[in-house]
Amino acid sequence: MSTAETAVSRSPFVAAVLAWVFPGLGHFYLGRRRSGVLFALIVTACFVLGLSFEGRLYTIESGQPLTILATFAVYGTGLLNIAARLLSSNPAGTILAVTYEYGCAYLLTAGLMNLLLMLDAWDIATGRKP
Amino acid sequence: MAALLPVDHFLIMTVYALLVSAFFSLLWREQRGDRWKLFGVLVGSLVLGGLAVAWLMYPFPS
Repeated sequence: MSTAETAVSRSPFVAAVLAWVFPGLGHFYLGRRRSGVLFALIVTACFVLGLSFEGRLYTIESGQPLTILATFAVYGTGLLNIAARLLSSNPAGTILAVTYEYGCAYLLTAGLMNLLLMLDAWDIATGRKP
Repeated sequence: MAALLPVDHFLIMTVYALLVSAFFSLLWREQRGDRWKLFGVLVGSLVLGGLAVAWLMYPFPS
């Protein structure tokens, strides 16, 4: 947070939910607008690049327990993930594409970063983080 | 959707390092100077670490 930004007393639950809905929205709600915009740009860029690299929007598969973790991570991007699943013609990615693994790494990272933003928004709203 | 970056392994890895470093420097540091310092350390570590691991794959391929 820059020195120009100030924490505003708001509901931690709403901050965390907004942070999940769209990257940076929780910080924006807490009055940290500059941080919110920067987080939104970073996480959205990571997610869109992952889609463009034909990465996979994971879903849980029986017999593949690691897909539970991957699905949890990808769903961390909130509406971006849901919109991509609805709009994309290839949500499972293209496993034969040379960029497939990069795409998966970008998509998973975007989701995990947004989950961290949810925790960060919660901590700011509860006063655990200045 | 076509790839938004040229399919170049080093470029894709470097962009990934830039995004992750920017994210964590914003998340973990409050002051601008501290953020730039951490950003540089993280980018350098990720890119140089990636190159080191790639180089080690030649003598130890599997």
